[in-house]
Amino acid sequence: MTGRVRWSPGPATWKDDLAPISASDWNYDRAAHLLAHAGFSGTPAEIEQLADAGLERAVRSLVHYESIPNPKMQPFVESGLWDPTLNAFPESRPDATDRALKHGMSMGVENKPAGSRPVQPSSDRFFYWLRATMLETRRLGYWWANRMLQTQHPLEEKMALLWHGHFATHENKVRDYRKMMQQIDLFEKYATGNIRDLAIQVAQNPAMLYFLDAQYNVKGAANENFAREVMELFTMGVGNYSEKDVREAARAFTGWYFDNLTFKVDPDKHDDGPKTFLGKTGNLDGVDALKIIFQQPVTAEYLAGRIYRFLVREELSQDLKKRLGTVLRDNDYQVKPLLMVIFSSRDFYSSASYGAHIKGPVEHFVSMMKQLGVDAIPGVPDFNQSTIAMGQHLLNPPSVAGWAGGKAWITPGLLIARGNVARDVLIPDMTGFRDWNFSAGTDDVLGRRLRDGYDIGAATAVNDPSKMSTFDMVAMERDEQFNTRISGYIGWEQAARKLIPTPRNAAQFDLTRMVLESGSKTTVEAVDYLMWRMLRVPAATATRDAFVTFLTKELGTDNIDRAKTYMEDPLRLTVHLIMSTPEYQIV
Amino acid sequence: MTTRSRLSACGVSRRDMLRIGAGGLGFGLFGGIGPVPYVFSRASEVVAEAASNKILVVFEWFGGNDGLNTIVPYGDPMYYKHRPTIGIKEKDVLKIDAHFGWQKSMRGMKTLYDEGKVAIVQGVGYGQPSFSHFTSMSFWHTAAPNSGNEYGWIGRTASALDPAGTRENMIVNIAESQTLAVKAEKHVPLVFIDPARFKRGTFAQEHAPLEALSAQTVPVGDAHKYVLEVTRSAAQASEVVRTAWSNYKGKDNPDLRLLDLDKVVALIEADFPTKLYYVPLRNSLFDTHVNQAAPHDRQLEYCSDAIAGFFREMKRIGRADDVVMYVHSEFGRRVPENTSLGTDHGTAQVNFVIGDPVKGGMYGTPPSLTDLVLDGNLENTTDFRQVYASLVEGWMGADSTKVLGQKFQTLGMFRA
Repeated sequence: MTGRVRWSPGPATWKDDLAPISASDWNYDRAAHLLAHAGFSGTPAEIEQLADAGLERAVRSLVHYESIPNPKMQPFVESGLWDPTLNAFPESRPDATDRALKHGMSMGVENKPAGSRPVQPSSDRFFYWLRATMLETRRLGYWWANRMLQTQHPLEEKMALLWHGHFATHENKVRDYRKMMQQIDLFEKYATGNIRDLAIQVAQNPAMLYFLDAQYNVKGAANENFAREVMELFTMGVGNYSEKDVREAARAFTGWYFDNLTFKVDPDKHDDGPKTFLGKTGNLDGVDALKIIFQQPVTAEYLAGRIYRFLVREELSQDLKKRLGTVLRDNDYQVKPLLMVIFSSRDFYSSASYGAHIKGPVEHFVSMMKQLGVDAIPGVPDFNQSTIAMGQHLLNPPSVAGWAGGKAWITPGLLIARGNVARDVLIPDMTGFRDWNFSAGTDDVLGRRLRDGYDIGAATAVNDPSKMSTFDMVAMERDEQFNTRISGYIGWEQAARKLIPTPRNAAQFDLTRMVLESGSKTTVEAVDYLMWRMLRVPAATATRDAFVTFLTKELGTDNIDRAKTYMEDPLRLTVHLIMSTPEYQIV
Repeated sequence: MTTRSRLSACGVSRRDMLRIGAGGLGFGLFGGIGPVPYVFSRASEVVAEAASNKILVVFEWFGGNDGLNTIVPYGDPMYYKHRPTIGIKEKDVLKIDAHFGWQKSMRGMKTLYDEGKVAIVQGVGYGQPSFSHFTSMSFWHTAAPNSGNEYGWIGRTASALDPAGTRENMIVNIAESQTLAVKAEKHVPLVFIDPARFKRGTFAQEHAPLEALSAQTVPVGDAHKYVLEVTRSAAQASEVVRTAWSNYKGKDNPDLRLLDLDKVVALIEADFPTKLYYVPLRNSLFDTHVNQAAPHDRQLEYCSDAIAGFFREMKRIGRADDVVMYVHSEFGRRVPENTSLGTDHGTAQVNFVIGDPVKGGMYGTPPSLTDLVLDGNLENTTDFRQVYASLVEGWMGADSTKVLGQKFQTLGMFRA
């Protein structure tokens, strides 16, 4: 095991120094540090390649990736759940059924002319799409995670993930996986491009327009939701504009809306009058307002700081933030030059930036796959359930503020979840696994009752009517027109009939081969090799010794050659232990 | 160590203690709660002895609750002028007096109010208010309006109660991710939402090496130090939480619709050492910009039922004298309804302080519906830090200036 370069952070004096490190400062460990931050870590072979390329070429290959072939990127294959009658989808079930009561139909389905529950088709139809878009969004999350894993442009996906959490919308409210897909495309396209252009695109993106209530922002009745968030969260940060600026910007954005997947402006609803926004006066529209925002020095600092904290470390001095902002502004909001500076800098390789980044759950999951040498996101465990358990639901950030990140990723519960996900990846529960896409959850009981011959009223009744709460009473009253509870179940069934199943295979990797190829002869060497491969921050000797003792006991020998025919699962448990260490959570 | 302090230090419920009596101290004592979690064995005798039984539960109604459609000023004609469509009709109000009434779905809280256990605080807010959910809530979380603080007001209250930071699990936060309000200098809040998921799944042979996970004593930096600390506390905390949850019978009772307050009941029943519980409402419907009537009505009913159920449970386990709940949002809503049958972000809001120790009634000056401020908004007549000071000082018995940085007039909401 000699010659393996160990943990080698640069001196603390490099902190906040944006000058590039010299060629002689470059080595395997620094390349590993780079790949862990500019991407999702990698195998020793991938790190070796960067180390051999030298600093400049290594950083350049990550930042200027366009010319690198990326053969595994495939378009998302849709299940075919949507059709045009679902355009302008109702905002709620009452909205859907009220429409049906008023017009005799909604979402392409008519009311029954006679018989009980005449509006049931619309109620079912509403829940069909609710379930359909949720289920397809889970597939979309899988597709994106596979891109993160299989791409030859890791920084592109890493930055797309940043923008998703920065210009945050969630499918829960947007209720249209197609609009979420449009966003992923947008975030990849502008991943390291011009942020001003990206912000304009985002402002005209149907998911965002819907998410921040653009349809209610009209001349004479401005809705301030988007105007406020665009400044507070997307560009400037609180305290750099007045409430009047918010109102004026809202007027500038009036009349912006979307039809299906296309951005539109309604001139009748746009307030074309003069506005004074951040000190500039004119008949401003939304693009003008965004351009004014990007003229503010604070915008460059805010965004440069956001990028830095996402990629490098939470702690960022005002002074360094200002200098990073200057780099961004001097390059007219092009991100690539800023990334070149950050990833070449002494600050990035200083001890202050080593082990200072807590991996986000999606980043963490993809990194696990990379380090294990897995070439596709497994079906067992489920990627979405795994990352949700660790605190990040891809395509469903908790609010427009995105994910808090940093220390917020780690609480006792979330830390435990990380260990459990590692266990489920290493020792997947193939026989116990249940595909949640094909379970209506607590509504499964309704399906059983219907198949057992109960009518809808009986199937949806609570067991003891005397225990009925006010809610159930209300639901019963509405039963004359439709039964919303059974719709929740039927919608799931109808969506699941069309849904393309997610393959439920285990992650494919071979730790036995990995350890044999490392040349490890003893359990000490095997544990040292695996820890070196997985960890960026060294664990305590006592931790390593406990893992060696464990592996030796499991194998019945400390001799790797003797144990090579049966050591796969013991090695997997050892990696589970390594991935459960505090050190594995940070890079 | 006295019997009393040892019991509470070990997490044995007071009911067990009362049932068995001091003379019954022995192995059988622990039958109800499983293995004694060593997490509590470190709590010092002095601290345990000095600690009061008082508990504060904050139930945060995120989204911006419409106070005017919660405590309805049905006696003021201006109310219906501002809200011709979505104003709650007099016939739908659960009347308090000739002027105010509860929104019709809030029977649970109305009953508590009639029993004299609810303080309604009117006009709560702060100067130069933010209309942003996140900004305004961060002001409430840090108790630092138009400013900020690294730590939350609940976190700082923990520091005021236990300056050394030696008491474990002082703060429990029932949430997917940590709420800023509970961020503390020395106390690592216990954050979880699903007790069943709050468990390290391990194979039997892994138990020994897992003990060595957090052996590192020289962290490379702040993030490393933090993850090490949480690794240590997680192992201990998960066991006691799951034990409490599995022992809690109320979770199987369909009549108890406690939202996430059920976890709080379970821990209090298990005599968990937590003094401060923070429960943000999940899946909030309070952000009622559009067609607000039905969702607002429903959300208030959910919350009101949950609170009423919670206090029924406190009574059942004999802790009604020890627990106070505080309810707030990040802002109220604009007085005039908007064109989408909803209301936009506003300013002053109504707060509730609930429990047997509370002197029920109306507090604060109800803002005028005639003299509106800031484009159709309510004037803030009570600084929210007055309510905080009342809770910290009047209920928890800590120095509120240590939490709030200055002295605020308290409201005198508690019985002597």
